[in-house]
Amino acid sequence: MSEGLLQVQDIEVRYGAIRALKGVSFEVYEGEVVALLGANGAGKTTTQKTVSGMLQPAIGQILFDGERIDGIPAHKLISMGICHVPEGRRVFPRMTVHENLEMGAFRFKRPDAQLLEHVLELFPRLRERIKQHAGTLSGGEQQMLAIGRALMGKPRLLLLDEPSMGLAPLIVKQIFDIVREINSSGVTVLIVEQNAAQALALANRGYVLETGEIVLTGTGRELLADDRVRAAYLGEEIAAVS
Amino acid sequence: MNRSSSETLNRLLLCLAGALVLALMWGPQEGNFGNYWFAIKESLFGPRVLVFLALGVLAFLAMTFWPRVVPFLTRPGVWPMVAGALTVVASQTLMHWADQVGDAKFGTVASAAANTNGLAPLASAFFGGLCWAMLVIVVLLLAAGIVSGLRNFGWAAAVLSVVSAVIAYVSHSAVVDFVGGVDHSLGVYVCIVGYLVLLTAGLVVAMSHAQVANTRRAVNQALGWRPGLPLVLIGAVLGAISLATSTWFSPANRNATLADTRNLFRGTGLAPIAVQYLAWLGWTIFAISLVLSGVASYRRIRPLGWAGAALGAIGVLLTVLTLYRISSIGADLHVDSADGPWQNLGAGGWMTCAALFLIGAGGYVAATAPRHSERTVEVDSDAVASGRSASGAFLTAPGAVRSGLMVAIAVALFYPPTANGFWQSVLVSEIGIYVLLAVGLNVVVGWAGLLDLGFIAFYAIGSYTTAYLVGSLPVKPPSWLEMSPLLAIPFAVVICLLAGLALGAPTLRLRGDYLAIVTLGFGEIIRIVAVNADGVTNGSQGPQSQVPHPVINLGPVKITWGLNQLQYWYLLLVFVLVVVLAFRRLENSRIGRSWAAIREDEVAAQATGINTFRVKLLAFAIGASTSGVAGVFFASQIGFFTPDNFLLNNSILVVAYVVFGGMGSLPGAIAGAALLTWLPEFLKDQVPAADRQMWIGAVVLLMMIFRPGGLIPARRRAVELSGFDQRQRLEPVAVPAGEGL
Repeated sequence: MSEGLLQVQDIEVRYGAIRALKGVSFEVYEGEVVALLGANGAGKTTTQKTVSGMLQPAIGQILFDGERIDGIPAHKLISMGICHVPEGRRVFPRMTVHENLEMGAFRFKRPDAQLLEHVLELFPRLRERIKQHAGTLSGGEQQMLAIGRALMGKPRLLLLDEPSMGLAPLIVKQIFDIVREINSSGVTVLIVEQNAAQALALANRGYVLETGEIVLTGTGRELLADDRVRAAYLGEEIAAVS
Repeated sequence: MNRSSSETLNRLLLCLAGALVLALMWGPQEGNFGNYWFAIKESLFGPRVLVFLALGVLAFLAMTFWPRVVPFLTRPGVWPMVAGALTVVASQTLMHWADQVGDAKFGTVASAAANTNGLAPLASAFFGGLCWAMLVIVVLLLAAGIVSGLRNFGWAAAVLSVVSAVIAYVSHSAVVDFVGGVDHSLGVYVCIVGYLVLLTAGLVVAMSHAQVANTRRAVNQALGWRPGLPLVLIGAVLGAISLATSTWFSPANRNATLADTRNLFRGTGLAPIAVQYLAWLGWTIFAISLVLSGVASYRRIRPLGWAGAALGAIGVLLTVLTLYRISSIGADLHVDSADGPWQNLGAGGWMTCAALFLIGAGGYVAATAPRHSERTVEVDSDAVASGRSASGAFLTAPGAVRSGLMVAIAVALFYPPTANGFWQSVLVSEIGIYVLLAVGLNVVVGWAGLLDLGFIAFYAIGSYTTAYLVGSLPVKPPSWLEMSPLLAIPFAVVICLLAGLALGAPTLRLRGDYLAIVTLGFGEIIRIVAVNADGVTNGSQGPQSQVPHPVINLGPVKITWGLNQLQYWYLLLVFVLVVVLAFRRLENSRIGRSWAAIREDEVAAQATGINTFRVKLLAFAIGASTSGVAGVFFASQIGFFTPDNFLLNNSILVVAYVVFGGMGSLPGAIAGAALLTWLPEFLKDQVPAADRQMWIGAVVLLMMIFRPGGLIPARRRAVELSGFDQRQRLEPVAVPAGEGL
C-alpha cells in the first residue's frame, strides 16, 4: 500500500490534565473521503483541530504528503493545502457572501476568479445571495458558504467538521451531494460527523472514535453494516448482537 | 381599576417623576451648611418647577397618543423642522451673542439691547421679542404645512426663514457695531444655521412629491440634484457677507471692513498685490469663481468645475497673502498699536478664505461627481423600503459625503483663526490631541476589536521619550543625541511600537475582558513608574526643565512654534491628516481585511489562513505608535507635564470617544472625539460646573440609546445593529415555503 496523503500516528492531545486523545492513528489516502465518527466527547473535533494545526499533539506525529506538520500553526498549513471548515459554520456575519469567499482566498495575493466562478456554480444559492451579508443567510446557506470559503483556498485536503449540524435532512442531503462532487474533482476529504448514516454512505472508509481512542475501522459499507455502529449511531436495537 | 387605566396612571406618574428629576438637574446642586435643603427647595418649590411638570405632562400626552402622532412624524420636513427649531432655541438661550456685553449670553445681550436708546430699531425689535416671535411663526407655518399638506405654507415658511436669518444677522451686527470691540461670539451664526435648516424644512414641505416620505430621502434628492451646488451657495452667502460687511482688520477695536482697510492703507507702501486685492481683485476672484463653479455644478460641465476649483484655490492663497501683508504693515506703521503679522485680523478675511474654499470645493465636487446621476438619484431599494440606506449612512446622494468633508475641512482650516484665545487652546490641547488619540485607538478597539483600557500609557511613553530626547529629564541622553522635539517623533513612534509589542506579545493571547484588565494594569504601571522613578522621570513633578517648542529649520524655511495656539493647531492638522490618510489605506488593505475577519470570528479567521496573533499585535503596535506621536506633540506644546496628565480616566475617555463616534469608523472616531471634547468646554459657560459631567453623561446615554452604532457608524457595525433585527422578518419572505433552504 502506498503512503497516505495524511498520516496521523499515535497522537495524544491534552487539555490541561485531561487526555482528549489517547494515541489516535489513522491514514487518509489521496482522493478518498474518510469519515471520523463518534459520540459527543469522543474526540472527533479535537482530532480534526489537531490536524488543521489549531491544537498541538503532546505525543505522536502527523505527516502530510510525507512531511511532518504537527507543530505548524494553522495559518501556515493552509498554504500547504489543508483547509478547515470549522464546527458551527463560522462565516463572517457582517461581511457579504462575496467578501466571505474572498477571505477564503486570503493566502493568495488576489482571489482566483475562475475558482470563484466554479464555487458559485457548485452553490447556485450563494450566487443569488452574493451581495447579502452572511449573517442573514439561513443555516444551510451558511454551511454552503463555509465550504465554499474553504474551497477558495484551493485545498488538497478539506477538513469538514459536522457539516450536517442543525440542518434539515433535505439540506443535509444536498450538502453531502456537494461534498461528493468536490471529492470527485480531486479534493481529499476528512469529515467528522455524528450523522453516521449519511457520512458512511459518502465515505470510502471510516474510523469510529470512543473516548479518545479508535475502536473500529473499515470501509463505509462495512461500518454501515456493523452491528455496533448501527446500535450506537443509527439508533437500532442492540438486542440482536450480544 | 382595569389594567389599561392603571398603566396610564403609572405612565403619568413616571413622566411627572422624570420631570422632577429634570428640574433637580436644572437647578443648583450645592447645598450649604446652614441649609442642607437649599438645592432641593430651589429646584422643587419655585415657580420654575411648573415648567418641568408641564413638560412631563406633554411627554405623557405624546406617549399616550403616540400611534396617532406617528403618521405625521414620517411626513417630509418634520425632522429638519425639529432640528432647526432646536438649533435656533439653543442659540438664543445658551450661546454667546456679543462678547463685549456682560457674560455675552443672549439673554444679557437682549436685555442690554432693549434698555439702550439709539440702537437700530430693527435690532431693538429683534432682541425685544421679535426673535422668538419669528421662530414661533416659522414653526407654526411648517407644522400647518405638514399637517394640512398645503405647499404654500412650506413656501411661506421658507421665505420667512430667510428673512429671519437676515434680521438676526443684521441685528447682531448692529449691536456689535454699537458697542465696538472684538467679537468672537458664535450665537448668531448658529441661529442662522438653524434658520437655514428650517428653510430646508420649508422647501421639503413645499416640494416633496409624496404625502408621506422620509426626510432623509428628500434631503438626499435635494443634495444630489446638482452635486456641488450646496457648497457653492454656502460659499456665495459667506463670501458676500464677509467681503461686504465683516471686519478685516481690528487693532484697538477699529473694526475695519474690506473697504475701510483699503482706505486705511492707501499709499502706505502696502504690497501691490494686496492693494489690488483690497481694491478689486478680491471681489473679482470671488465673482468669477462663483460663476465658474455655479455654472459647472448646475450644467454639470467638468472642465469648468476644475477651473472653479483652481480659481478658488488661488483666491484662498491670495486672501491669506493679503491678510499677512495688511497685518504686518499695520504693525510696522503702528496703526492703533497693531501687534504684528497675523495679529489683529478680524473674521472677515478668514470667512472670505472659507467662502472661496467652499466655492472651489463646489467646483471640485461638480467635476468629480459620477456622470450618470442625472436622472437617477441613487437610492437603493432596500433603503426606500426600510427608510434607511443599506450602508447605514445618512448621505447617499452623489457627492454629498464629499461635500460634507469639504465643509469640515473649511471649518478646520478657517474657523480657528477667528476664535478667541480660550477656544484656540481648547482646539489644540483638547480637541486636536484627543482626535489623534481616538484615531489611534480606533485601530485597536474599532478595527481589531481589542479592548484596550491602558491606551494613555503609550501617550505617556511618547511624552517622556520626547522629554528624554530633548534633555529635560534627570537622565540625559548622550549629547550627540539631544534633539529638537519634532525629530523625536520617529524615536517616539519606534519606542511606543516596541512598548506595544512588549505589552501585546504576552497578553494578546487573552481575549475580551481579560485583555481589558491587563491593559488597564499596564496603564497604571506606566503612570506609577513615572511617579516613583524619581531618578529617571523626576517623579510626580514631571520633567525638570521645559520641553522646548517645536522648530523646523531647513535653512531657507524656518518655522518656530511659540505660545500661539494657532500654529499648533495647524501642526496638529498635518499630523491628523497624515495619520488619517495612512489609516484609510490600511483599512482597505489585506491587514485591514484580516482585522475585520478577526473581529467577526477569530476561529474562522484562523481557518482562512490569517496569522491572528501577528495581526492583532500589529493593530496594537500601530495604535500605540499613533499615541506616541500625540505624546510628542503634547510634550512640546505644553512644555511642562506631570504623571497626572496620564490618568486611567483619560484612557477611558478615549475609549468613550471611539465608541461614541462609532467603533471602527475613522470619521466617527474623529467626530466623536471632537464633539465630546468640545462639549465640556462649551458647557462650562452654560451650566454650573458641578453639573457638567451629568449633562455629558446624559448626552452619551441618549446617544447610545437612540444611535447605538455611534455618531457615524462604520459600515459593518451599522449592519450589525440595523440589518440583523430585520433578519427574522426577512427570512420567511426570502425563502419560499417548501423549497427547503
